[in-house]
Amino acid sequence: MIATVAAIIVISLVIIGSATHINTPSDERYWFVQRQGIFAIINGLLIFFLLNFDYKMLQHYGNRLYIFNLVMLVAVMVLGQSALGAQRWIQIGPITLQPSEFSKIIMIISLAAILEDKIGKLNTFKDLLPIAAYLGVPFLLVLKQPDLGTSLVFLAIFVGMIFAAGVNLRLLAMIFGAGIACLPVLWHFLKDYQKMRIMVFMDPNVDPLGSGYHIIQSKIAIGSGMLFGKGLFGGTQSQLNFLPENHTDFIFAVVGEELGFVGAAILLILYLILLYRGVKIAREASDNFGMLLAVGISSMLAFHVLVNVGMTTGIMPVTGIPLPLMSYGVSSLTTNMMSIGILLNIYMRRQKILF
Amino acid sequence: MVTKDFKGRLKILSITVMVVIFVLIARLGFLQVYDGEYYAGLADGNRIRLIPAMAPRGIFYDRNGTLLVSNRPGFTVSLLPLTAPISEDVIDRLSTLLKVDKVEIHKKIDQHSGFDPIRIKTDIGPEVLTIIEEQKEAYPGVVIEVQPIRNYINMDMAAHVFGYVSEISDDELAKRKGEGYRSGDIIGKFGLEKVYDKELRGTDGGEQVEVDVTGKPVQILGRKEPIPGANLTLTIDEKIQKVAEKAIDEQLLKIHAKAAAAVVLNPKTGEVLAMVSRPAFNPNLFARGISNKDWKMINDNPNFPLDNKAITGEYPPGSPFKIITGIAALSEGKVGPDEMIFDSGRHWIIPKVNSEGEALGWISFKMALAHSDNVYFYEMGNRLGIDKLEKYGRMFGLGARTGINLPYESDGLVANRAYKRKVFDDDWYLSETFDAAIGQGFNLVTPLQIAVVMSEIANGGIRYKPYLVKQITDPNGQVLKDFKPEELGRLDVSPDIIALVQDGLREVTTVGTAASSFGKDFPVKIAGKTGTAENSQGKDHGWFIAYGPFDDPNIVVAVLVEQGGFGSQSAVPIGKKILEAAFGIVNPEDAAQK
Repeated sequence: MIATVAAIIVISLVIIGSATHINTPSDERYWFVQRQGIFAIINGLLIFFLLNFDYKMLQHYGNRLYIFNLVMLVAVMVLGQSALGAQRWIQIGPITLQPSEFSKIIMIISLAAILEDKIGKLNTFKDLLPIAAYLGVPFLLVLKQPDLGTSLVFLAIFVGMIFAAGVNLRLLAMIFGAGIACLPVLWHFLKDYQKMRIMVFMDPNVDPLGSGYHIIQSKIAIGSGMLFGKGLFGGTQSQLNFLPENHTDFIFAVVGEELGFVGAAILLILYLILLYRGVKIAREASDNFGMLLAVGISSMLAFHVLVNVGMTTGIMPVTGIPLPLMSYGVSSLTTNMMSIGILLNIYMRRQKILF
Repeated sequence: MVTKDFKGRLKILSITVMVVIFVLIARLGFLQVYDGEYYAGLADGNRIRLIPAMAPRGIFYDRNGTLLVSNRPGFTVSLLPLTAPISEDVIDRLSTLLKVDKVEIHKKIDQHSGFDPIRIKTDIGPEVLTIIEEQKEAYPGVVIEVQPIRNYINMDMAAHVFGYVSEISDDELAKRKGEGYRSGDIIGKFGLEKVYDKELRGTDGGEQVEVDVTGKPVQILGRKEPIPGANLTLTIDEKIQKVAEKAIDEQLLKIHAKAAAAVVLNPKTGEVLAMVSRPAFNPNLFARGISNKDWKMINDNPNFPLDNKAITGEYPPGSPFKIITGIAALSEGKVGPDEMIFDSGRHWIIPKVNSEGEALGWISFKMALAHSDNVYFYEMGNRLGIDKLEKYGRMFGLGARTGINLPYESDGLVANRAYKRKVFDDDWYLSETFDAAIGQGFNLVTPLQIAVVMSEIANGGIRYKPYLVKQITDPNGQVLKDFKPEELGRLDVSPDIIALVQDGLREVTTVGTAASSFGKDFPVKIAGKTGTAENSQGKDHGWFIAYGPFDDPNIVVAVLVEQGGFGSQSAVPIGKKILEAAFGIVNPEDAAQK
């Protein structure tokens, strides 16, 4: 697992280097790589330090973390800096934090803490309601930022965790049904640009020069990589600046273009190993809290990979969801590495199988 | 222990994860392997062209919203090599047609990298345009782009304030790397164009076009609309600026002088209402790529048309400096307001004299200021000493840049011992104090600095930073930045003394050196000071500084005529016309002519 994570991060640093290579002057050329690398190392050390503590103590902090989470999300609304039409950042000294990133992992801990004693007791709508409400408040706060992507991540985490907690399957199916029925209502609450993104996803030719631009460019980038790619630093799409955000949300397009199908598939296999191990850790966890944590983290990572890669390859709408451990971004990197740290922690204290 | 019952569900999760990843890999395979050829074709450098669209620069307005500087569409000849490099024949033909040296064209091709067009000549005339359009087959790889070209509507009006733009140089490119500048970009080189280049330039856009083998566009794959730059609303009043320029031009012609400068300020804020420097240049020449001939003409002019003399030119302040000497002497108690001093035409210690051999007899401070008596102020210098003179000069802001938002401002110089020690390695002599007291000797000021000095007198002692931009607005009219008056300091001088100096300056235009020009009929009460600064290089420089209305001043004028002789004859007529324009007074002579 550690090797897999390390491999993904190394690929990430190389690709960020390539993506930011051309558009940055020589003396600052490696600024992004250095920054991401430094934070990867800091986080790595932090993980090993935190392994000394038992993850089980997190359970007692579930509610306190939940409150902290709400405060943080409200703070970003009040103090936050808006970028690209959304208020998501808080500036603290030289670092800009994106609280909605951290709130994902906090949400997982809080949910695991309250779901722990409800395992197998989620059979009626009434059983589920308090938990849904518990999730609902931060969910709406994030949606308000507006950060549709992260709020969807919340939903994915929620569904994954209640599924593992043994929710009545018929109930789950009913909720899904109701959710789909509510879609037209939800549509009205979306911002114009969000509506546009979804319409563009249905048919990129609706607006090829505006909103459809990202999808078209990203598909051209990935597609033109073909089997073996154009080589590092050789991607014409990404290097010529046709593909915006190429070191953050659209980094997978750079992988696809420069490393080809082979490279991109290897990266996805690495994710598969990571996710598979995540679920395996859930199965081997020594208690339900650990199992739920591992499921929540795996759901989060899986959803991120699905939506991000799906978006760059044109099978998912554009939402600002980064690719875990790959996309440039200190907040996202920290969240993901902390999640991996928790998985490792659970694994270390797994149930010992005796023969 | 994990509850056993739901272990099966975790297995389902594992399977879901695997399915997700395999779906993604399958999608990749479809894009990259099955459809790869198609996308590779699209991405291929041979089939995609980036046609940049230059962002129009921000527009300049005067304080009342009158358009000053805008953009107009111009045609640019560029090379866009498609399948093969541009042939030698075509370059030959272009060279003759555009009158651009072949070596120059080759240089531009060699220096260029990337897939965007190589600009050869901007703003071609309609004849050239027609030839290229009609004989397209003769010019394969040659394209015509439409680009916004900077348009200084009033030609050389306020050229030194606006500045000019032209293609970025290699040096500038190296210095500004990382700020988004690229070779071939248009950049502000002087004046406000230089200072606010970042705000003015906007963001270039472009079209990504798929072309067929012959270079014909097949479809547009992407377009980034250019975002126009931010607009500047200046503090300049076009009406006053025009009158000031006309008055200076006429006066220079009349008295055969070559260079002059004028500054008009609002003493209550530091806003610059007009700023003129002569000789001037036409910034439009630079915008379309200046020809060697035009450049030679500007560069070889001995009076440096490219210098903004209002802020860069350093001149001995002459008599206007007596304001500072007077305030110093009164504040330090070296002389009483009504103390009479005898002017016999020459000072009794060092035989320095009045100009024109005048001798006024017993005179008080006010009379001395109104008549610009040298002997009186020699004596003030004698009583103060050079160190006190230096202190007051600096208190008024002399010897340092005013901080106006224009490039290449000069410091000026306040006469002092350290300077003389450093430059001449010599002690200070009393005669040099005498010279300094009447604004001669080592003292040097820019017209803007002396206008600031006059503002401090007019507003009762506040030194504002002069500024030229009121507001920066984005293309939608949203305000990005509002400029407010900025106080830099206050004179440590009692209000009584300032009032006394104001009265003295008022008498300059009623009974003193400028009385013959203004006389009793001028409808607005004006306070002023003339000056005739000795110039070791030639004829004396003429000065006139003034403010009005006397009781509540909102206009300060400073005029300098290089080698214009007496200030009262060279600079005062210009200042008077500017004041008339500022106060909306119809000159009876002009009215009669009409």
